[in-house]
Amino acid sequence: MDISNWTRKSLLGIEELSYNEITQILELAKLFKKETEGDMSNKDYLRGKRMVNLFMEPSTRTRIAFEVAAKSLHADVISVAEQSSSLTKGETLRDTAMNIQALGADAIVLRHSSPGASLFLSKIVDVPIINAGDGAHEHPSQALLDLYTLQDKLGSVEGKKITILGDILFSRVARSNFWALSKMGAEVTLAGPSTLVPKQFESMGARVSHNLEEALQDADAVMLLRIQHERQSSSHFPSLAEYTKIFGLNKDRKQWLKKGALILHPGPVNRGVELDSELADSPQSVILDQVSNGIAVRMAILYLCTMQGATSL
Amino acid sequence: MSITCLQGGRVIDPVNGVNNIQDVYFEKEKIIAKPSNIDSKLISIIDVRDKIIFPGLVDLRFHLKNITGGQTENILSASHAAAAGGYSSVLLMPDTSPKPDNSGTIQFIQDRILKEACVKIHLCGNLTHNGKGEQLAPLGSLQETGVIAITDCPNTTQNNQIFSKGVEYASMFGLLVIDLPRDISLSRNGSAHDGPLALKMGLGGYPRIAEELYVQRAISIAQSIDTKIHLTSISSKGSVELIKSAKDKGIKISADVTANHLCFNENCITGFNPNFKMSPPIREEIDRLSLVDALLEGTIDCISTAHTPFQEHEKNVEYDLSPAGVISFETNLSSCYQTLLGHKEFCWTKLIKAMSSNPSRILEIDSGNLSIDMPADIAVFDPNIEWEYGSRNGFSQAINSPFEKHLFKGKITQTFVNGKIAFELQ
Repeated sequence: MDISNWTRKSLLGIEELSYNEITQILELAKLFKKETEGDMSNKDYLRGKRMVNLFMEPSTRTRIAFEVAAKSLHADVISVAEQSSSLTKGETLRDTAMNIQALGADAIVLRHSSPGASLFLSKIVDVPIINAGDGAHEHPSQALLDLYTLQDKLGSVEGKKITILGDILFSRVARSNFWALSKMGAEVTLAGPSTLVPKQFESMGARVSHNLEEALQDADAVMLLRIQHERQSSSHFPSLAEYTKIFGLNKDRKQWLKKGALILHPGPVNRGVELDSELADSPQSVILDQVSNGIAVRMAILYLCTMQGATSL
Repeated sequence: MSITCLQGGRVIDPVNGVNNIQDVYFEKEKIIAKPSNIDSKLISIIDVRDKIIFPGLVDLRFHLKNITGGQTENILSASHAAAAGGYSSVLLMPDTSPKPDNSGTIQFIQDRILKEACVKIHLCGNLTHNGKGEQLAPLGSLQETGVIAITDCPNTTQNNQIFSKGVEYASMFGLLVIDLPRDISLSRNGSAHDGPLALKMGLGGYPRIAEELYVQRAISIAQSIDTKIHLTSISSKGSVELIKSAKDKGIKISADVTANHLCFNENCITGFNPNFKMSPPIREEIDRLSLVDALLEGTIDCISTAHTPFQEHEKNVEYDLSPAGVISFETNLSSCYQTLLGHKEFCWTKLIKAMSSNPSRILEIDSGNLSIDMPADIAVFDPNIEWEYGSRNGFSQAINSPFEKHLFKGKITQTFVNGKIAFELQ
């Protein structure tokens, strides 16, 4: 596969990517997905590359998926969590990253609570930075795996109606997905309570809805987001129970969905809050496809960023 | 030669209605009339043809954490930075270490100022103990030991009773209260203007209403007590409208804006550069245009610097973790001149009013005009010098300027304080 068009060293967000770049990542992911179904023992594309997972916020799926992706390509993986790093001794992110670079890292996968943290780091160190979530700003690998999953099921997202439902305000997943989906030609509706889905999102080009029935009608897919109660003060909505009552997706509300509409969730799912188990485990749900597709997508990201300058796979 | 003559420059002296080419004379620390018998041997002549001469600039808000100095910004470096920007008098906010909340510390700070500063640094006391907004500070005692105004800036007293009683109590001493209007509950996690851009960037928003509610609070309290309150660092169009309406009713409210809020709009934070993070945040273009208009029509009285020095390791961190505030002394006049020059309402008289005469009037200090017998606090500006600003080449020990590598036209060439040269462009 020709990868000579890929010129980015770091993957910081979806907003800056072109249609062609997104397509290129997904095409390579498709190739890797196929390869992972076979024997990977001799597919040592990243042998000798050292990848550091620098996770300053809790993560299960993303951290493990990056680790599995890197190991599948035979890269060496070192995982650093905030609690076990010198950041707890007052070392700054800048110094930690510069030390990691000095220790010979070939890529840093960063999860951090500050919006723009990956961009900040990319200006300090020379190694590729892969944004694994920066505050409420972007989570590009999640959006790419969501897009991969949607394309896999729907063929293409062009002209499709996708609703993202829940806590949009504090969600990096929502922002990255909005960019990815709209760049690929989908119509995106952001839905949820007015305090978590401000009308100002319309200035980005999204449709905003505070009415669940209206937001679900005609949607080809619904992406639910976890209500991040750890990020919000009680001022944004009265209680989880109230949220569930007004915006939770349950059996009764399933009828508002188009037949065959897909249900996505980046996880972790709060069952019984934003999504009932019956729907989470239904044939419409592609939640586990998202997780497994996440590995192939991250293999593609790691390969493109660390092998930037190579001409073909 | 004890008499100095600044010869041939355009003199801007709004208080005396002067805007023409004439000479300015001073002897020792005072401005004097043109001597009747000019003996050229006794007069030192400085040729200032093609330059603008005006009373030294006066600042209503600057911060300096470290009084005793070392490698961080201190009284010596800050005062040289101020002089290089044309300032002869500046007002130090009380968030210093140590804090000016007792007579011993005030005396200590004043001694350091006397020893090290090349411009006049006036002290502002805290309205409440440690600026925490919980208990009134001993305002009468602070005034006796030398503070000329009080404020909790960069904090804002949230408790309305404490704030209104503080204003009422201060009015007994004729002490000016300066308020940074901000509702913390609405802006606690706000590191950017609460608008579409912050939403897109995932940054916590600091909405206009967090300011406007407290602008209205100050107006209502100033009206009910019939006393003066000065609002510092106004940033929104709504605040401008509230202040205009209050002034129309004769309420004793005054206000300043920083040069940064006149020069930039919110797009400056694209790229998460912490050197554009300030409090209040830079808002939308509609706000900026409203602030410029309000300044030139007189609704906003002054331009302040809000000079807030940080060292590189403090400021150049992740955007939302970076402390708010930027340095401004050395760029303020040049940046305002550059921004306002093309405006149809711009004239030098308005600019000098906003940067010298009005803040002097509000602070009631002997400055802001070139009348006979006034202290010889004078600045000279060459509007034709083209220069590039670099924080590392400046006088300030800090580097957190939004104008790094900015090209300016127009620069201060000399600043006199009490007739002594405090800055001279080499």
